[in-house]
Parts: sequence; structure tokens; C-alpha cells
Amino acid sequence: MRRVPWVALGALMTWLGAWAASFLQPIAALLPGCAFKRLTGFACATCGLTRCLMALGARDWSTAFHWHPAAASFAVLLPIAALWDLRRAWRGDPYPRLPDSRLARLSVWLGLIAVWVLQVARGI
Amino acid sequence: MEWPFAAAFRALRSPREAFAAPPPGLGRAVLDMALVWVPLALLNATWSAIRGLRVYESLRGGALPVHVLQWLRLDPGNLQELVAALPAPPTFGRLWPWLILLVPLGALGTWLHHAVWDHMGLWLLGGLRAESGFRTTLLAEAQALRFAAVGTLVGLLGFLPGLGVWLVLPLLLLDAYLWMFRGFALAARHGCEPWQGLGATAVHAALLGCGFLGLLALLFAMIRVAP
Repeated sequence: MRRVPWVALGALMTWLGAWAASFLQPIAALLPGCAFKRLTGFACATCGLTRCLMALGARDWSTAFHWHPAAASFAVLLPIAALWDLRRAWRGDPYPRLPDSRLARLSVWLGLIAVWVLQVARGI
Repeated sequence: MEWPFAAAFRALRSPREAFAAPPPGLGRAVLDMALVWVPLALLNATWSAIRGLRVYESLRGGALPVHVLQWLRLDPGNLQELVAALPAPPTFGRLWPWLILLVPLGALGTWLHHAVWDHMGLWLLGGLRAESGFRTTLLAEAQALRFAAVGTLVGLLGFLPGLGVWLVLPLLLLDAYLWMFRGFALAARHGCEPWQGLGATAVHAALLGCGFLGLLALLFAMIRVAP
């Protein structure tokens, strides 16, 4: 199992997903909007993700960054993570454990909340 | 002799006791999950495909669900133009080999997906112990999904003519329970509090549920309630 580059495979699947999402462009206006936003009037943390993914599929990076800065930044980091994972799998190293640190967990929570606040503030 | 799926229904009724026994090996747990889930998922996918093809054909014929479109604030005229230009659907004879290939892959992919996101959720809630890693999450997910697979069987009721519309809400509630059910397996195998396991699945749902899953749920609901 250590020899399987799961992160690299995940990156490949994400890229394929973005490529497939670009085919949704002609019917983008017909896709139903976010149910959370319809009910509350506020964007959810993932609002803009579909449009970001469609823009990524079309390799339109600036539009993708506009719709969901966090997801677009994540997409930029994916090839780096995939390369790291391929090297790890080649060497047969185990995946590192998630840090048992309250600070690390709190930072991720704050990051997620910050993304949400950003999307709400920009009215995405 | 026990009824088929009796153990699964018992586990779903008493989720705290469902994972009290010592766990099997990971390979055994994944095999047990696949043996129960894949045939049920194939049945569900076959029925969905047949129903989906029929709905697609009726949409191309101009039978648009106007009340659904109005509720979604969409212009039926736009959709009419779009569906008129759509190609004819493939026959089921051309589709079923793809189902046989994609359904087992989908089941395994879903298991891995749940494991990754629930593991992340559990970490965010401080539920991971130093001695239990991702392998423990994979095991917990395989055990939980083996029981939760009966939801696929119950979900077939949603295709019954006339009854499907009325069952959309109860089936969505059942889906929500089956989603949270994984939390009990996570808590038992990781030795953390049940609220942390349940919270992990809730964090997972909050991060993904607002986006693609909501869209997929809506599409499946439309297939079931379409004329």
C-alpha cells in the first residue's frame, strides 16, 4: 500500500474532474444554485466551487481564483503535492501522521472559516 | 436462520453496540463490504439507468417538468431549446457493461473518499489517537458502509411509481442517518467519543454537502419524481 501514490492519484482524478466540468459550461446557467444560499441569503463555504472548477477545466486561472481563491490555490499546490507523493511512493516511505497539535487544528478551522467569510463578504 | 440483512438492520437500530466486537482485518472488512454493497449498488444503478434513459427520452420529447423548473426559477424555454438539440440516448444494451465496470469502482472510490474526509474531520475535532492512523479509519468506514449498504436496498422503494414522490423526504432523512452512522464506527475503532465520530461526518458533509452532493441529490431526486 505504501507504494501506491494515493495523493497523486487524487490529483489526477481532480484534474479529470475539472476537465469534465468544463463540459458543463454551455448549461452553466441551468444548473441549480446553492440551496444554502437560497435558504439563508448567505454564501456557503463551497459557493463558487463549481464555477471555479469549470474555469479550471478551461484553464482560466484568473476566473477560477475569482470564484474560489482557496480552491484555486489548492489546485496550484496539487502538482507539487503529487510530485512529493510520487517521490514518497518510489522510496516506499509511509505517509506522515497528521500533527497532534491543537494549534494546527485551530489553524485549519480558522482557515476554513476565513474562506467562508471571504465568500460571504464578496457576495459570491 | 436469519433474514438477509437482519444484522445490518440490527446494527442500524443500535449503532453503539454495532461495533463492540473486535474488528476483523482490513482486507476481510473490505471484502465483506464489497460483497454486500456492490450487488445492491449494481441493482440500484441498473434501475437508475433504465429510469434515467426513460426520463431523458421524455425530456427530448418535450415533457418538461415545468413546476420543478419554476421552483428552481429556471426558464422552461431555455431548457426546451437545449433538450431539443440533445443527441438520442444510448440503449441500455450499450450501457450495462459500463455499469459493471464503474459501479464497483464507484463503491471503492466512495469508501476511500469517505475515509479521507472523515479522517480529516476526526482530526479537526481532536478524535485521532496517537496509536490509530488512517488504516483504522479505512477499517471503520468499511465496516460501517457494509451495514449502511442496506440503505441502497431501501432506496429502491423511491422508484416505485406513485410512491417515489412521497418517499423523497423520508429517504433523504434515511440518507442523513446513514451518513452519520459512520461516526459510530469511527468512534468505536478510534476509541474516541461518539460526538467526535458523528462530528467528523458532519464536518465532511458541511464541506462537501453544500456543493456537489447537493447538486447530485437534486439530480437523483428529479429522476425519481419526473413524470
